[in-house]
Amino acid sequence: MLAQVVLKDVNKVYGSLYAVNNVSFTVQDGEFVALVGPSGCGKTTTLNLIAGLITMSGGEIAIGDRMVTDLDPKDRDIAMVFQNYALYPNKTVFNNLAFPLQMRKQPKDVIDKKVREAAKVLDITHLLDRRPRELSGGQQQRVALGRALVRDPAVFLMDEPLSNLDAKLRVQMRSEIKRFHHNLNATIVYVTHDQLEAVTMADKMAVMHGGVLQQYDTPANVFSNPVNTFVASFVGSPAMSLIPVEVVTTGAATILKGTSGWEMPLSAANARKAQGSSNGKAVLGARHSTLKLHKAAKPDAVPGKIHTVEPTGDITFAQVLVDGEVVNISLEPSVAIQPDERVWLEFDQDRMHLFDATTTMALKAA
Amino acid sequence: MTIATERAAIAPKAAEQPWGIGLLRRIIDHRSDYLYILPALLVMLVVIAYPVYYTIELSFFKTPPNLQMKDKIFVGFDNYAAILSSSSFHRVTINTLIWTVFSTGFAFLLGLAAALALHREFAGRGVLRAVLLIPYVVSAVAASYVWKWLYHSDFGVIGALAVQFGLTDRPINFLDNTTTVLPSLIVVNVWKEFSFAMVMLMAGLQTVPEQLLRAAQVDGASAWQRFWHVTFPHLRGVSMVTVLLLMVANFNSFIIPWIMTSGGPAGASDIWITDIYNIAFGRQRYGVASAYAVILFIVMMVLGYFYVKALTRGDEARAG
Repeated sequence: MLAQVVLKDVNKVYGSLYAVNNVSFTVQDGEFVALVGPSGCGKTTTLNLIAGLITMSGGEIAIGDRMVTDLDPKDRDIAMVFQNYALYPNKTVFNNLAFPLQMRKQPKDVIDKKVREAAKVLDITHLLDRRPRELSGGQQQRVALGRALVRDPAVFLMDEPLSNLDAKLRVQMRSEIKRFHHNLNATIVYVTHDQLEAVTMADKMAVMHGGVLQQYDTPANVFSNPVNTFVASFVGSPAMSLIPVEVVTTGAATILKGTSGWEMPLSAANARKAQGSSNGKAVLGARHSTLKLHKAAKPDAVPGKIHTVEPTGDITFAQVLVDGEVVNISLEPSVAIQPDERVWLEFDQDRMHLFDATTTMALKAA
Repeated sequence: MTIATERAAIAPKAAEQPWGIGLLRRIIDHRSDYLYILPALLVMLVVIAYPVYYTIELSFFKTPPNLQMKDKIFVGFDNYAAILSSSSFHRVTINTLIWTVFSTGFAFLLGLAAALALHREFAGRGVLRAVLLIPYVVSAVAASYVWKWLYHSDFGVIGALAVQFGLTDRPINFLDNTTTVLPSLIVVNVWKEFSFAMVMLMAGLQTVPEQLLRAAQVDGASAWQRFWHVTFPHLRGVSMVTVLLLMVANFNSFIIPWIMTSGGPAGASDIWITDIYNIAFGRQRYGVASAYAVILFIVMMVLGYFYVKALTRGDEARAG
């Protein structure tokens, strides 16, 4: 069965607050989609709307080829994995896995077979007689996945399933869930506040902010073409640096002018983008790896001052203050720099970003 | 740090020593702890331990009705034998068991229903919760008198309503009838104490994780199945404590039966405490009443044992 999920103009209103504001996107069959955003952005609410655990204020949701807008969670052919695993503490692992099948009144031998299969896939067969409190966090997480798996649902919904694990286990479970997705060709909607999880695991990511879907695309596209300054600063670590600038066009040439007076000529493509800014105010964005550091003044490079230096071993991150804004750059560990040193940053015209200062949207070549 | 290592060093040594010395050693090591509880301990000795001791002592004596305790005569276990073999004790014990089991059961079930109903958000929930708490905070003596009037065969509202709705031809004489008196008193008792169960279970309901209920909902459990598989197991600890406390309170009930019927008619609503009160202060047979009280005390201690066990069960699970 085709297990796609379609959200159309989905709304959830609490009083006058739009927790989810006209969100529409389509999850294709077998796709791993991450809903990502800061706390309170509406991502978990969106997931609960897909699950049917809360009622929608407006819009439509279809799973597979059925409209599920008015269906109960149990009739939506979904399985859910929760942040705190939500295992039944008084039941053994076996009965936790069997529970959704028992609720669907499946015959005993079928339940037994399916539970053992799921346990085998997740390597928890030896834990079947234990109770949840006797398991480690990672084991509990596998049981929670197993409980979702036995149902063979059309869609797996996962609500921050890794956020309760320690850093090391999180990385390990991240790859396990990725294998899980790959092996089962499962359709997964995965909520996380950690953009790194989204970027590393998902086929597509839906970046949300203030209840509004900002961008829905592959992680690579979101990373390289953020639609606005929010997405630009949310995705990627360290975050994309953003500097407010003025767009000045004199004759044929268009340049950017910093608040402290520095000037940067633009390539033809960037000039066309910059000319589209409203009131001539723009925001210049660049990722740390695209910036080049110079210790001596260089034409067209932007002057700044080293703020902090953070060596991490194979790469050194530095924060440079440009017009009072923090700009992240990465350097070879061999480059010797000191705080308060004056430096010049060279921007890569092909990989820099320009946003409208008023609308925060990415500027496109007209 | 130093204290911890000191204690660790002492612990294995204490285990090797004979029991008495080990205990003494522990008391000396923790002398300040004992010092802190000493005042409370002294008060308890005076107001609890001594009366208990004196009751046990009296239970082995035949006491003169004139309360000249120096004239009491040692009779060994005669008082116990007299009680355990008397037919009235058997009848009163059956009454007490009926009273306790039905009061506890219905108060718990009603409290559970009220707690579940009040757990949901709805307009007027706070008011309703306050109203349902009234029986618990009303004085038992006042409530008993009010109910006595409600049940009254000539002036009672309940009887009048029953007639008006055509349920009976004439008002039932609830409290003066040997078959209806005990159920009637149990109704009052349940009304009085169900809100205690309600408060306990409402607190318990707060601890049921929302996510578990959602998980069960997604897993396909109906509202009843969610209650049975998720909510109720979470309430097991608090339920056990509530039932045990209700049982202890009901075994020890006095005010409601004493004020409403004094155990009558013909002993049909006599329960242990009213019987003991009658024997001691009605018939001045303090020795027999004391023996009776000791038997009741033993029953209470058994219940108390289970109560403490239920209370500490969670601790063991956490420690283990």
